Amino acid sequence: MFFWQDPQFGDRMITLMAALVLVLQIMMVGQRWLVTNIRAFALQSLLLAGISCTIAYFNDARDLYIAAALMLLLKALLLPVMLRRLVARIEIRREIEPLVNVPLSVLISGLLTLLAYVVAEPLQARPAMGAAGLGRNTLPVAIALFLIGFFMMINRRKALTQVLALLSLENGLFLAAISLTYGMPMIVEVGIFFDVLVAVMILAILVYRIRETFDSMDVSRLSRLRG
Amino acid sequence: MSAVLAGLGVDRPMTILLLLLIPLVASGLTAVTRSRRMMESIHLLSALAAFGTAILLAAEVLANGESSSWSGYLYADSLSALVVLLAAFVYLVCAPYSIGYLRTDERNQVFGSEENGNMSLVKLRKYYTLTPLLAFSMFLVAVASNLGVMWVALEGTTLASIFLVTFYGRPTSLEAAWKYAMIGGVGLSMALFGTILTYYEVHQALGAESLTALSWQVITSHAAKFDHTVMRLAFILILLGYGTKAGLAPMHTWKPDAYSEAPAPVAALLSAAVLNSAMYALARFYVITVRCLGPSFPSQLLILFGLLSIGIAVPFILVQRSYRRLLAYSSIDHGGIMVLALGFGGVLGPLGMMLHMTFHSVTKPLLFFCAGNAQQRTGHDSLRKTAGGLLHTLPVSGPVFLLAALAVTGTPPFSLFQSEFLILRAGFSAHHEGWTALFVAMLVAIFGGFFYHISQLVLGPPNGPPDTETCKWKTYPVIGLAAVVVLMGFWLPGPVYALVKGAAQILTVHP
Repeated sequence: MFFWQDPQFGDRMITLMAALVLVLQIMMVGQRWLVTNIRAFALQSLLLAGISCTIAYFNDARDLYIAAALMLLLKALLLPVMLRRLVARIEIRREIEPLVNVPLSVLISGLLTLLAYVVAEPLQARPAMGAAGLGRNTLPVAIALFLIGFFMMINRRKALTQVLALLSLENGLFLAAISLTYGMPMIVEVGIFFDVLVAVMILAILVYRIRETFDSMDVSRLSRLRG
Repeated sequence: MSAVLAGLGVDRPMTILLLLLIPLVASGLTAVTRSRRMMESIHLLSALAAFGTAILLAAEVLANGESSSWSGYLYADSLSALVVLLAAFVYLVCAPYSIGYLRTDERNQVFGSEENGNMSLVKLRKYYTLTPLLAFSMFLVAVASNLGVMWVALEGTTLASIFLVTFYGRPTSLEAAWKYAMIGGVGLSMALFGTILTYYEVHQALGAESLTALSWQVITSHAAKFDHTVMRLAFILILLGYGTKAGLAPMHTWKPDAYSEAPAPVAALLSAAVLNSAMYALARFYVITVRCLGPSFPSQLLILFGLLSIGIAVPFILVQRSYRRLLAYSSIDHGGIMVLALGFGGVLGPLGMMLHMTFHSVTKPLLFFCAGNAQQRTGHDSLRKTAGGLLHTLPVSGPVFLLAALAVTGTPPFSLFQSEFLILRAGFSAHHEGWTALFVAMLVAIFGGFFYHISQLVLGPPNGPPDTETCKWKTYPVIGLAAVVVLMGFWLPGPVYALVKGAAQILTVHP
């Protein structure tokens, strides 16, 4: 048996990749360059596709290969390219301006990660299922991605950066789905990816039009409708 | 031929498939049509056909108890059939009205001046392709047997309607659409998390039964075996998620913006039909949760969110400045009432909820039609700027507006009074006397505010030259729907009531 066929090796790989995913998420909170943010998102999606493939290989879950392929094509390649084009087209002058300053944001992300581990505790205590019970330890990471994505959405003022936050929040959902149940049924998986794609296209058009109309992407200027 | 059909898994009547195909085909045809007459006729025909098919489906469900096709991927029971029927009804009444509404817009040069005739065709095509897609997603929400597909379809209703909210391209409509998309997106991602957790429980209880595992019939039958902590978490996430889509407080903030910026027929669709889809999804999960945890945990949460939504609506209705936003707050209020009814439970609670849903879907479009006519006449939707006298300037829509306002606030003899009274009784029989008293007090306050604003708008001395309201497309739907609203106060057709009762039966908890 080669060392890469050992489930324990797979488990370590998954843990490593999940850790990197979490680091990337916190990095997105902590840095200001929009283009770097898009790159971090692409890399995160790539790692998630890797986790998905590893679980598929060791647990013999064929469907997950398709999920991984969709992840790779849509979120690691297509969407980052689209977003990069949008950034180039609307000539963003200023970069991400979070409401809470960077050190405090990173601290809050750390606390949210802690919270995620507390929430995931009862779910992890149950007996594992599947061939090797692989990937269960990534659930706290998934919840952390979800919570930090949520925090990023509140913390950011620019329309495009909010879209990125929503996308990374959805990456958390993807990780939860593959780590808990080895993926949703195929038809659901395809439907969700389709929805994400359409949603991002629609949001990109909205971002563009907000930029044209208000000469800014600052969504705090969208405050005329009240009461 | 029949072998081919059987091979495709079509061995039962194809009513559901037909129902889904009609709006899709209509949308596709409109996208390639060049003349506006053709677009309008396709739209009308598709609405008629969809309503006819919905009636067929309802009849099938009434006869057999259920209907399914495509190897069980699509499934309808009384609850689904009722939601489909209501959505198709709203789609039907909106179709002729939207023709008149958009023609008036074009005449008023809302889409740009005459030489820019191409622009208005682009706008019209946008409307007539996206609205059937919205109807398609609503139908799919109700007939998808798989909870994941239901989520996808519900997200589809948001995606199909975003560009209908930005239809007029004003800065404020962009703002409304942005809030709608972002708040809706976050909400639905929470609902997806809840769905994943539920799926995880099914996976634990049943093993890898991958394709049928999310079908809600399977889940309800095994719900008792699920882990309580996980299901509690899942229900909270689902309630927050689908509650956002339904516009429950405190996740309601997108609603007044979206409803006041969208064209009136779209607002009617969102308020009277998409609301039902979100309620439907919530109710399905409620049944699963009750089977697992017992009624007390979900009931408490539902009562809390219901009362909060009604309560939030009260001050905003009392001091409202715009009548389109007034209608949106009324919609938040009615969403809250439905959730409250479900929370009260018992036998009467679900029945009250289903009746309320039915009556609300019939009454709400009428209000939006009248508001749309008034807005197109005066050019704004401000309650302050309008000096009253719509009774004289709009001889049809003016008085009907007043009638519809009475109906929607639950004044007897209109039908919403009956359902609200039923919910009241449900509250008392569930021994929630305090909450029920609060509910009544808030209803009275809402009635006061609503009636004050609408009567200020409609009554009063004539203001400007009288309008004969020549556009038949805009007045006939108002007259027809007003007749239905009045009729419903006294007579609910037997089959519809049977459907309502069947739907309530599904949501009733048998301890």
